[in-house]
Amino acid sequence: MSSAAAKAAPAPSPPKEWTLEPETEYRFELDPGTSLAIKLVRGHAEVFGAELAEGKTYLFAHECKAAVFTYQGCTIEMSCIPSTEYVSDETPMYPYANVHIALEKMRLLARDAHHGSPPSGTEADSEPPRVLVIGPENAGKTTVCKTLANYAVRAGQDWAPVYINVDPGEGGWTVPGSISATSISAPLTTASPAHPLGNAATSAPTTLTSNALLPIVYWYGHSETKRNPLLLDRQIRNLGENVNERHEVDAEGRAAGLIVDTPSSFAASSSSSGADHRLMLIRACVDAFRINVILVVGHEKLNVEMQRTYGNRINVVKIPKSGGVVDLDPPYRHRIHNYQLHAYFYGHPINPPPGLPTSANATAGGESAMETNLSPSSSVISFDDLTIYRIGEKSMAPSSALPIGATRSVSEMQPVKVDPASPGSGVLNAMLALLAPPNPDDNERYDEEVLDLQVAGFLAVTSIDVPRRRMTVLSPGPGSFAGRTAIMGSFEWTES
Amino acid sequence: MSMYSQVPAYQQTSYPVHGYPPQAPSYAYPSTSAIYPVDPSTFRRDYSARLAELTENSRPVIQGLSLYAQDYSRWADVAVSCIESHIRRVPPWMKLPAFYLIDAISKNVYEPFGPIFGSRVSPLFLESYDQVDPSTRTKMEEMLLTWRNGGPNGRQLFGAGVQSALERQLWGSGATPETSRRDFIAKAQVLGELNTTLNQTQQKLQINPYDTEARNTLAILQQLRSVVEDGVSQQHLVEIRSELHSLARPPPLLSAAPVAPALYPSAATYPPPVSYSHDRGTPMPPVPHSGTSYPPAPKPVVPSSEPSSSYTGLLSAPAPSGPVAVPSNISSLLDTLAKAGWGSSGGTPVGAGTTAPVSQAEAEADPSREAAREYREAIFSENIKFTSTDITKTKPNIVHILYDRLPVQCKQCGIRFPDTTQGKKTMESHLDVHFRQNRRAHQNLGRGHSRSWFVGVEDWVHDVSASSKGKESADPSRPLNVKVVAAAEAAKRGAELRAQSVVVPPGDEAKHIACPICKETLKSEFNEDDEEWVWRNAVKAEDGRIFHATCHADALSSLSTSTALVARLRQGLADGSRSGTPDDPSSRVVKSKSPSPASNLGKRKIDTDFTAVKVEDGTPPSKKLMLSATA
Repeated sequence: MSSAAAKAAPAPSPPKEWTLEPETEYRFELDPGTSLAIKLVRGHAEVFGAELAEGKTYLFAHECKAAVFTYQGCTIEMSCIPSTEYVSDETPMYPYANVHIALEKMRLLARDAHHGSPPSGTEADSEPPRVLVIGPENAGKTTVCKTLANYAVRAGQDWAPVYINVDPGEGGWTVPGSISATSISAPLTTASPAHPLGNAATSAPTTLTSNALLPIVYWYGHSETKRNPLLLDRQIRNLGENVNERHEVDAEGRAAGLIVDTPSSFAASSSSSGADHRLMLIRACVDAFRINVILVVGHEKLNVEMQRTYGNRINVVKIPKSGGVVDLDPPYRHRIHNYQLHAYFYGHPINPPPGLPTSANATAGGESAMETNLSPSSSVISFDDLTIYRIGEKSMAPSSALPIGATRSVSEMQPVKVDPASPGSGVLNAMLALLAPPNPDDNERYDEEVLDLQVAGFLAVTSIDVPRRRMTVLSPGPGSFAGRTAIMGSFEWTES
Repeated sequence: MSMYSQVPAYQQTSYPVHGYPPQAPSYAYPSTSAIYPVDPSTFRRDYSARLAELTENSRPVIQGLSLYAQDYSRWADVAVSCIESHIRRVPPWMKLPAFYLIDAISKNVYEPFGPIFGSRVSPLFLESYDQVDPSTRTKMEEMLLTWRNGGPNGRQLFGAGVQSALERQLWGSGATPETSRRDFIAKAQVLGELNTTLNQTQQKLQINPYDTEARNTLAILQQLRSVVEDGVSQQHLVEIRSELHSLARPPPLLSAAPVAPALYPSAATYPPPVSYSHDRGTPMPPVPHSGTSYPPAPKPVVPSSEPSSSYTGLLSAPAPSGPVAVPSNISSLLDTLAKAGWGSSGGTPVGAGTTAPVSQAEAEADPSREAAREYREAIFSENIKFTSTDITKTKPNIVHILYDRLPVQCKQCGIRFPDTTQGKKTMESHLDVHFRQNRRAHQNLGRGHSRSWFVGVEDWVHDVSASSKGKESADPSRPLNVKVVAAAEAAKRGAELRAQSVVVPPGDEAKHIACPICKETLKSEFNEDDEEWVWRNAVKAEDGRIFHATCHADALSSLSTSTALVARLRQGLADGSRSGTPDDPSSRVVKSKSPSPASNLGKRKIDTDFTAVKVEDGTPPSKKLMLSATA
């Protein structure tokens, strides 16, 4: 399958060509600090459902692990040889395509119903697809979601499905620790795990709509769902309310449906300690987003479990997992978190691999690399300007681990005010979620309102001056933080 | 009007046939007559200054520069050296328009510019070619192909030597047809020519989707391309190329015939270049300097009438009979190509052209509904049950749904569109978005960007603009955020204000007049409809002073009374008198009527411009509002 010429020439940067047979994919994994340029020489190819334009050079970096798939066969040219690369002819793309077509049928029926066409079936038949994707760790859940979203926007029907990420361990278009939703109207490209699902909007002009997403964001603050499942449950339901409200406003756009990407802990085997909360969180998602399709990625037992619980009212479908998924170890996930945090403030510039001619006009997923440099602003603020809360105790054992009869002094959902001056406050280097302003109407205010406010942006505390009661915060852009509220989580900012 | 370079405002191929009427009354440039260069150095300075305006592919600018050069053809070498140094100096993305200028001057005027450019164009072309991006390269290649027979009597525009040298540099050892017909021809060269012809045919189809000839030709050309891509022998390459050349050869009957004045396109409805592609070899004798031969600013005609006529008599020469060794598929392809699309001769070309749009209107009664129906059929014909077993067993025709159904692809980001009139339109507006973003990116070079703050719940819930794919003309029935509507209205009001104009009094063309509020010079431009010079975004106050319409409206609309304004206006008054506007006591009327906070003065005009740009770019206004709310 590979061209023999490449192996014969170990020169510094031999442009290497792969010719892919139809229905195969080229998979690669990058080492830290390396980047790769891929050009589609001829044929058609896509990366996780986003089509590559012929003749354009695409850059990949930050330990990106991705695959170039082709239905019709193609030739691609590589700038260098990644640490791991191979071609596979076993892909689950046809099952995924079938799922896409099934979802398209639902969308078309839903649109017909909206336009007042005679209903062709029962009431349930005209509901747009609202898909929950669950599966164990390293099953390729996000890849499935991304591919399905990309196929939907490529249909040329002006679909703009709402993509919901409830996996706090995955930043998506924001930072890890948050859960968020955004409407997708253009294919989500792949360039770097720092932005696996496109990019939240910046002030820079972007070529791709998927790099100017307008998400709504809630801050859970931890990467593990078991850390505070009650909080996550509440935020999932908040997010669901927003999404439903939006779909009521936009009845036409509602037909495109929604896709929910979930954390792997939703599928953890029942023997593990997280079992008690995961069913609760799945229930929260099903209720909040009015799920009518559950896709279980490569997990027999989970499929059976879901069939039993929801099979009578929700279409539960098991889909195969890709053989190309990579087992991600905790250090890798930690590095990805740092990439994502860093990319939030500074963008994600990708240095082209050495030897790539500048005339190649390389782009990061179709975005010119130049535009991805961001300048955050750093400002010194008084301790009194910003009110910082932590939700629940700093380190909290699960309720089940408490002695029988014991109750917490601080409940899981109680906002605890953090004094940056107190030793061990943990504010230094903490990531803070700056909350949106609370309801201006005092009558509408309530004690736990901070739990339900969405995020306006993220801050990082880079230094603290206790004697003068001042701290330096890094913010995405200039702004005043006086009188604002921020929530602390367990994520720390390290300047790299 | 699409401003994106794929549908360029200026197309080099189309010039010859029109023979741009020099000194046509409607295009006279009063400004040049006002400042009459009397010596070469003045001319050099003026010409360089005007060249600096050539930052994008703008037809009026290129025309203006071309005419200006023609008027001073006695200093042709000065103009040529100006253009040359301009191309060397500007950044790569500004080079192509300048080459279009060279192309325009050489093809339309030829003497004495052609030979002068001929001696210099080669290194210039190659240097620039190395610096520009791939899409611009394609454009330059296309332009180079038109130079093959762009000169008088269908000869090479800059001479055979220059042409073959350039082609050799670009496509390797492929040589010009004249020098070595049987020599090695690079596959890339043939592919390039094929693509050019393909594009032209596609554009022809775009004008008239019911042109079955063009459709057949397109299909054959596409097959040919895939054959060539797979690799064919030298002989076949030679044959394919000679066929392509014969397609491009100008029909003899058209070479002498003047173009009907009615076909002369106005700037606004300039038909895509393909309509005239086969006339590119038409000899371009310098048009006599008589401004009377063409009526000024004629009405645009149905563009599709021209292509049919220009195809008349094309390829009356049969396709060269290939060698016996040619595999049947290629020779048959070439045969069909010669017979079907290109060989046909329409009896009454004009009639054929005019009937086409009618049938088109009938057939495409509701193209969008038709397209939606087809998509439904494609989706529902896939008989898949949404179950775990079914989705792994069946193999859908996903390639059709994702790829073949949508043959028109954006080369920037790979997004596809259906090959329908509607799809083309969507594609065009999509490309416009790219174009504006690229322009903004260029303008923003070196400026810092930052992550935006996230939107608030209200804005997110009501933000449906994201689902309209950047289309500004969103369905009015869709509920829109009040703020969005307000912003759109403000933008519309701004646009209306900016469209206001004041006719420049005769003799004042050269005068620079500043707006008394913002102190910036009013821009004058030539209004082609009224054939008059006007100040844009201008309004004449009762006292006769000229304001920016936007500044004036701001001042009027503001209700607060500020003494700062009075002071400022008084100062403006003084400025006005300095610039020769009579200081009339009646101006106080304006003053008392237009109290405005000081903040309204100064740079407000720029602010409103900025708002308009933002909205036009499809930036959801909610984001801005949110930004300002957080700041």
